[in-house]
Amino acid sequence: MMSRDDSREKKLIRAPADLVAKLNEAANREGKTFYSYVSEVLEQAVRAYEMGRSLKEIIDVYEILEVHRDAGTTAAPRDVLDYLIKTAYGKNSENLEKLWYQSGRWYGVYFKERFKDSVDGFVRLLRDGRLGIDQVIMKNDDGMIELRCVSAFLSQERTLLMGNFIEGAMHSLGYKTKEREFFRGIIRLTFYSEHSSSSKQS
Amino acid sequence: MVKRKLLAARVDLADKISEIASRKGTLYDYVNDVLEQAIRAEELGVTLKKVLDDRWLIKSARDAGFIMVPEKIFYDLTEDACKNIGKERLRKLWYETGEWYGKYYDDLDRFVDAVRKYFWDVLELTLSEEGEIVSLTCLSSKFSEVYTELFSNFLEGALDALEYSLEESEVSKGIIRMRFVKSKGE
Repeated sequence: MMSRDDSREKKLIRAPADLVAKLNEAANREGKTFYSYVSEVLEQAVRAYEMGRSLKEIIDVYEILEVHRDAGTTAAPRDVLDYLIKTAYGKNSENLEKLWYQSGRWYGVYFKERFKDSVDGFVRLLRDGRLGIDQVIMKNDDGMIELRCVSAFLSQERTLLMGNFIEGAMHSLGYKTKEREFFRGIIRLTFYSEHSSSSKQS
Repeated sequence: MVKRKLLAARVDLADKISEIASRKGTLYDYVNDVLEQAIRAEELGVTLKKVLDDRWLIKSARDAGFIMVPEKIFYDLTEDACKNIGKERLRKLWYETGEWYGKYYDDLDRFVDAVRKYFWDVLELTLSEEGEIVSLTCLSSKFSEVYTELFSNFLEGALDALEYSLEESEVSKGIIRMRFVKSKGE
């Protein structure tokens, strides 16, 4: 698979022709020689390996970072956010829940448009930790999706709001809520797809 | 049958890739995966290097206790809280939060870098140091008047924790200009 080139400093690696053609185009776009472009790619693959991650995992994370950017989010210090929510929640819980729900709806539409597997993309967003959720468990059974999100640092109010956010997104993704259960730091939601056989049974 | 081509690679890299691949499967499959991911990064409009450089961003933001929230919601919450509980309490809250981050980062450049990386609504944050004097300019086209003021309290709290005392400040909607002087240790 690997053979020696004439030059003592290079080796030849076999790769699929279609990928090589695409890389060649990319190298041209960046004004680099194909050789230096390939070297950079391989260097990063080694770097990722040394980080204990695959390139795919690292790009998955980056892709979600871009979602946050596109969504027009900002970083909120957790204590400030919780304080502001607590202050507003007592007086206007319905409006806040609606705001979070609508924000979730936006994300759902975004994932539907931009990701091949939109539910998987959305679950990756929940898992990346930037929304303040530590653990996400998803069970998918014939169109019935159960999401269990846990975080020790999720206040009661933010638990409820995140629940609404998730519902909003899942509704945009074509799911309906079957069950919802919120407890401080724990969100458990079950959804069904209108097109699944399990929804026909229920 | 997939058509194959040969890629010329640096010997040290080719050997390293070959060594990694031997732990995962075949060299061909591994190279295939690496090239696919390079193209995927290209389609996202970035280089693999940038993707790897930014990787720490997510973990470090999470460790520092930042939560991503839509700007509009966060600004509205701030405006509402200001009306309901008054600006003074919020100013104190933002100042104390800034103090916490100042102590957390424990270094002016690291703090400024974190603000630049995480607060995407900040268009520009410049820091200049001249002897004992530090000047900070923060610009955002998205900040409301109230939010600008509170954000300036956040910056002030952080710099105070880093032992810089506020000498002068000019705050108006979306613009913060502050001048600090290094506090003399007793």
